[in-house]
Amino acid sequence: MIRASSIALAAAITLSSTLVSPPALAQDNVAARIAAYRERVERLEDQVAIENLQAMYGYYFDKGLWTQVADLFARGGTFEYGQRGVYEGRERIARALLLFGPEGLGPARLNNHMQLQNVVAVAPDGRTGTGRWQGMVMLSEPGANAVWGVGIYENTYVKEGNTWKIASLHFYPTGFTDYDKGWAHSQLPMDGPSALFPPDRPPSEVYRALPSNYIPPFSFRHPVTGEEIIVTQPADDIVGRQ
Amino acid sequence: MQRGLFLLLASLASATTAFAQESADQQLDELDARITRLEDMNQIEQVQRTYGYFVDKGQWTHLADLFAENGTLEIGGKGIFIGKDRVLEYMQTAFGPDGAPMGIITNHMQFQPVVDVSPDGKTGWLRGRAFVMSSGGWGLPLYEDAFVKEDGVWKISRLSGPFTMYTNWEGWGKNALNNTWPDKFDPPPDLPPSTVYLTYPAYYIVPFHYPNPVTGKVFQPSPGEAGAYHRPPGTPEQEAALKVGRLVDGSQPIAEPPRD
Repeated sequence: MIRASSIALAAAITLSSTLVSPPALAQDNVAARIAAYRERVERLEDQVAIENLQAMYGYYFDKGLWTQVADLFARGGTFEYGQRGVYEGRERIARALLLFGPEGLGPARLNNHMQLQNVVAVAPDGRTGTGRWQGMVMLSEPGANAVWGVGIYENTYVKEGNTWKIASLHFYPTGFTDYDKGWAHSQLPMDGPSALFPPDRPPSEVYRALPSNYIPPFSFRHPVTGEEIIVTQPADDIVGRQ
Repeated sequence: MQRGLFLLLASLASATTAFAQESADQQLDELDARITRLEDMNQIEQVQRTYGYFVDKGQWTHLADLFAENGTLEIGGKGIFIGKDRVLEYMQTAFGPDGAPMGIITNHMQFQPVVDVSPDGKTGWLRGRAFVMSSGGWGLPLYEDAFVKEDGVWKISRLSGPFTMYTNWEGWGKNALNNTWPDKFDPPPDLPPSTVYLTYPAYYIVPFHYPNPVTGKVFQPSPGEAGAYHRPPGTPEQEAALKVGRLVDGSQPIAEPPRD
């Protein structure tokens, strides 16, 4: 009886293996679906990681925590703020950030750089990403009136190992104004490259803030048409653009 | 006997496989739906944020391309424009040709989205706000927008942006501008405003597209509450506030836009 049933079992196994194709196909199908879904979940996780990274950058930057800020960059990462030029590598970035104030926020200073309105795109392979952010700015320093600022971040990110880092941070301030006067009456210029600690490269794009109305180029494609978002910059007689 | 056992085992084996298969497929279908929902919510947020980036810089053609063919737009009290062509005409006529004019700032920063997607994954909704920082002053439009997924792409099917508060640079403690209305500037809308409401210093609660997430109950603002102010009902301040921002006939007076 035992023998008989083991023969039967062997037969059943043989039968199922001769009829192997449908279940095996289904099995392959299941594996393929799980693999595809894992990819999609990983891209969502990548996006959240990039959004957190950039938000953290803002919280550190607000308080002048320059070492913490610089450590968010990839090796060889770049930092560019307005017309100050491009600084490359963590050590150079950490020193350049001292141009924005002392390490740790000094008394009577406000250095808020809010990171808002994120549009993050992760590359299909999950190794790189881009992000556009609305950068509202609130500044004050001793002896000066408070300042409002606006601008756009267009950044790139890279995943090294399993950690997302900033590959390039490019903040395009587009306007600064005196808190009391407002945009219609006060249009403050941007700082140029520092003579004390010159950048590694000149500004990658030459533009000026308000009264010009510069449009920081879009890294991402039009979400509906899928086409590149092409914009025409306003004429600017000083920059020499028609 | 042997034959019977063999048949039993064989059928059992294939039944188990089929059952496991069906269950795995079912679970994967559910997983797919949940991942798709997260992706959909992301994409809807990105469409709304991109809308804001286009408003900031007067990119009206790109903006109109965010709309479905029959999408509608209603901003302030201006009335309803139907179809992406009219959306484009409205923007280019009311606010000038495509481009960012020298000397001005018109930031409509898009914050605080609450996004939902229908169970069938074809319709989406977003409540959000624009924080307006412009040469003319400050503004707070609120959005209750609808989206449609066509060929895998989310588009705006209804953009509805009633105003909460507009003021010049002096601030809302000193000054408040009232709503727009259909004939305030060209072009005329296809349909009158979907609702008449009051802006600050009165207020209007834009209906929520979602129920309270904790109680699950739908909150419906009472029409009687519109125009209430910062004092409890029945107090003289609140009574007076009901008249602020209204003419005798109950309609809303309109202030001139700031000259600066």
